[in-house]
Amino acid sequence: MNCDIVFLLPLFIVTIGAILLMLLSAFESIRLEVASALSVGIFALAFLVQLVPIGLTDVLPFVSIFNGMLAVSDFTRIASMIIIACGLFTAMSAISYFRQNNFGSLEFFSLMTFAVSGMLLLTMAQELITVFIALETVSLSIYVLVGYNRRNVLSSEAVLKYLILGAFAGGFFAMGIALVYGALGDTGFAAIAASVSRDGLLHNPALAGGLLFILFALFFKVTVFPFHSWVVDVYDGAPIPVTGFMATALKTAIIAVLANVLLLAGDIRESWLDMLFYLTVLTLFAGNLIAIGQNSLKRMLAASGIVHTGYLLIALIAVSGDQFSGSVILYYLAAYAASTLGIFASLSYLSGTDEKRKEFNDFSGLAKVRPYSAAAITIFLLSMAGIPPTAGFMGKLYIIVTAYQGGHVILAVLGIVSSILSMWYYLRLIIAMYFHEADDLFETSGSRSAPVCAFILAICVLALSLYPVAI
Amino acid sequence: MFENVLSTMIFLPIVIGLAAMLIPFSSTTARRIGLIVSLVVLFFGIKVYLGFTGNGQLEFTETRSLIESVGIFYRIGVDGISLFVLLTGAALIPIVFVVVKDRPRAFYGSLLVTQGAMAGAICAADLVLFYAFWEVMLLPIFFMIGIYGGPNRKAATIKIMLYTVSGSLLMLAAIIYLGVAFHGQYGVWSFDTAGLAGLQLSDKAAALSFFAFMIAFAIKIPIFPLHTWLPDAYTEAPAAATFLLSAIMAKIGIYAVIRFIMPIFGPELVRYAMPLAWAAVIGLIYCGIAAIGQKDIKRLLAFSSASHMGILALGLFCLNIQALTGSIYQIMAHATSTGLLFLLIGIIEDRLQTREISDLGGIARQAPIFACFFAIALLASVGLPGTSGFIGEFLIIMGAIKFDTTLGVLAATTLIIGVCYMLWMFQRVFFEKGNDRTNGFADLSICETLAFLPVILLILFMGVFPQPFIARITPAAQSQIATVQGTGQISGQVALDHIQPQK
Repeated sequence: MNCDIVFLLPLFIVTIGAILLMLLSAFESIRLEVASALSVGIFALAFLVQLVPIGLTDVLPFVSIFNGMLAVSDFTRIASMIIIACGLFTAMSAISYFRQNNFGSLEFFSLMTFAVSGMLLLTMAQELITVFIALETVSLSIYVLVGYNRRNVLSSEAVLKYLILGAFAGGFFAMGIALVYGALGDTGFAAIAASVSRDGLLHNPALAGGLLFILFALFFKVTVFPFHSWVVDVYDGAPIPVTGFMATALKTAIIAVLANVLLLAGDIRESWLDMLFYLTVLTLFAGNLIAIGQNSLKRMLAASGIVHTGYLLIALIAVSGDQFSGSVILYYLAAYAASTLGIFASLSYLSGTDEKRKEFNDFSGLAKVRPYSAAAITIFLLSMAGIPPTAGFMGKLYIIVTAYQGGHVILAVLGIVSSILSMWYYLRLIIAMYFHEADDLFETSGSRSAPVCAFILAICVLALSLYPVAI
Repeated sequence: MFENVLSTMIFLPIVIGLAAMLIPFSSTTARRIGLIVSLVVLFFGIKVYLGFTGNGQLEFTETRSLIESVGIFYRIGVDGISLFVLLTGAALIPIVFVVVKDRPRAFYGSLLVTQGAMAGAICAADLVLFYAFWEVMLLPIFFMIGIYGGPNRKAATIKIMLYTVSGSLLMLAAIIYLGVAFHGQYGVWSFDTAGLAGLQLSDKAAALSFFAFMIAFAIKIPIFPLHTWLPDAYTEAPAAATFLLSAIMAKIGIYAVIRFIMPIFGPELVRYAMPLAWAAVIGLIYCGIAAIGQKDIKRLLAFSSASHMGILALGLFCLNIQALTGSIYQIMAHATSTGLLFLLIGIIEDRLQTREISDLGGIARQAPIFACFFAIALLASVGLPGTSGFIGEFLIIMGAIKFDTTLGVLAATTLIIGVCYMLWMFQRVFFEKGNDRTNGFADLSICETLAFLPVILLILFMGVFPQPFIARITPAAQSQIATVQGTGQISGQVALDHIQPQK
């Protein structure tokens, strides 16, 4: 009982912090820096509490109150740590961004903290309605964040696209819950697992259909191939810190849910292996093809996010469900989050007033004017491309090892081939930064917080590569 | 520092190189630091050479657990093959810091990082470690060509990067496959070269993995028809980078075939040796003919280097002791001669701002020492008896004739093409009438002369007295050939025994 409160404490801290921040935003006299510092403090505290180890097996905290709706394990703990860290770095780098983009207000930090609390709940949820509620908490906060720049047309376009399609996906999810409940009279993962392992998935069409709906709704959120069409425009329109936050924290939370759903009983994955295989391959290559065609950095990063989802799907297909530790998936997420957040933190201060620099060409000659920023971005890009000695390389290595071990040789090789393709657009930015002459002075606001974030994350990217993972 | 000699040779340049990029030294200080570091590395290299016993095993080994859960070890060491590749690099790089002046400190930093990473790739006995160094050694080169290169540098960098990265990522796929297969067969994770040699693979899996490795190495060497990145990259790169690419990196490709493909994919190498040898000879002839027509002296040398790499590659695929010994010997001979030529051409370009053969002439009168050094390196590169190039090429052709008479005769007779374009180029650049531009050409300074002299003497020494080198190479070559011929000789148990002490 004593431990239970510790397991849920990060969630409580973040939620209370979010409410506190929302209340504070009623006072106009409070400066943005204070709100940012406060949210950084909240995330740091939650992160520290989250360091307490739990163990590999699921622990159900407060069973008498929550009735098994929530479960925590080392998997959820580390996923939560990644999410909290994403929140922390976003809150920090947002300050540099708002110095140059004049639409910041205190609610931004409150909404972001709410989103994080929803994501934390999402990782722990063991029951479909809880997942739905958490998902909506996250989505509602993020809808507002995406459209935060009310005066910008692109931002409004983005929020409309995301809202309509997201609501549609939410509808799919609710429909799925209804079907599952109709089939089983229960919405807990445990009940689904019991039914699937007893009768098999396909013997119960309502259950299979319901789960398929749920899967598609989640695929929408992590931009798996046929459900990816929104991502490029939405990422492009959203303010840079929000894009970074969506690309990392949201992806981590949804992948954690997907892992919980797909692996709750091996049979779910087995029945749909062919479908998952083709979706993975298409996700990898569609993402690459879209990314190759982009001229805007934000759009390229959005498309490359699709490719990274593809790698995570490889891991989801290939990890063994028996003694699932998810370390491979979490490691990849951590590596991906560190490098993506790093790029977005750098963009937060380099993009300038009203995000005037966001094309590849706008960064020409960056290395001549700001060599350290260029070096940090290069480290992040090399990590995303999977070049040693970065965390991204080790992440890919672990995923390919897992794929071979699971007998998915074709997926492993296609993963590598996709990695070759992705070199093209990552190199493009490096070439622009280093091999062109500078025709811009890259003046920035002078706020140090985002550069500090980028520096810390660059070190993380290099240090993580030496951090071993049990396979 | 004195216990872990090899680690020092790898990480001292990398650390100092990174520091030189970050800390604002002046350009001259950075160059001096680079020179000192490379001399320290050379000192350690000599120490390794003196302490080397040549028992056919890896020596100076260091093993540290890097990522225990998947059996990735920091395991390095040298044997008779890697020793000379390592020493060649250590001996040649100090010259670069003497000759290449007035570059930004980041340039010297990149040189040092490349040097360290190349030493790492040469010493690595763990495939993942090797892969990491193999990728890292290319990154500084990429920046050096892209930032400091010639007018078409962007196209050249993209070409070399896409070529080499595609090759090496395919190799990565194969490396991971081998590791997983090893785990499947023996229940232990390992990427150790010696251990993986004991792997039993299905024919299909082995052939595919073999080609994944072979393509990566063939791109680096390069073997026809994967050579098309080379002329652009060599021509556009600054002299120091061309030097690193031709003198050392290409040799690491050759070395990697001997070190990794021969023990792990013996049967496949035997099966595909004939087509590969033909590809090597076609490359030898094709690049030789292409060199004749070049107007740019650096591009001419680029093709000549590619052509000579064809004969080194031929030595690998003949699969007999003579040819292999010749190839390893030629690694040193070719690195010293071609490396010097590229550096000397860098000096011409620096002083005269041109590389067009038609703009040059009469340099020999203005700069006799320069011309003399150039001539010796050039003659060594075409394999004149009495220079280092002769011994290697002779051994390779002997082995080639033993392997297949047609191939051997073809390779031997087409070597004359090299003499054609080289001597013709030498005549046009160094003799004939000088012009306003070349009349002001200053000879090598004392410093530069002293830097080049040891290598020139080495070229001559290797030409007349090859025994000290051959004696150390032959046992290693013998054991490699034995591994290839006696296929499947390393049993699974041996492989396991090799892994166990590390745990």
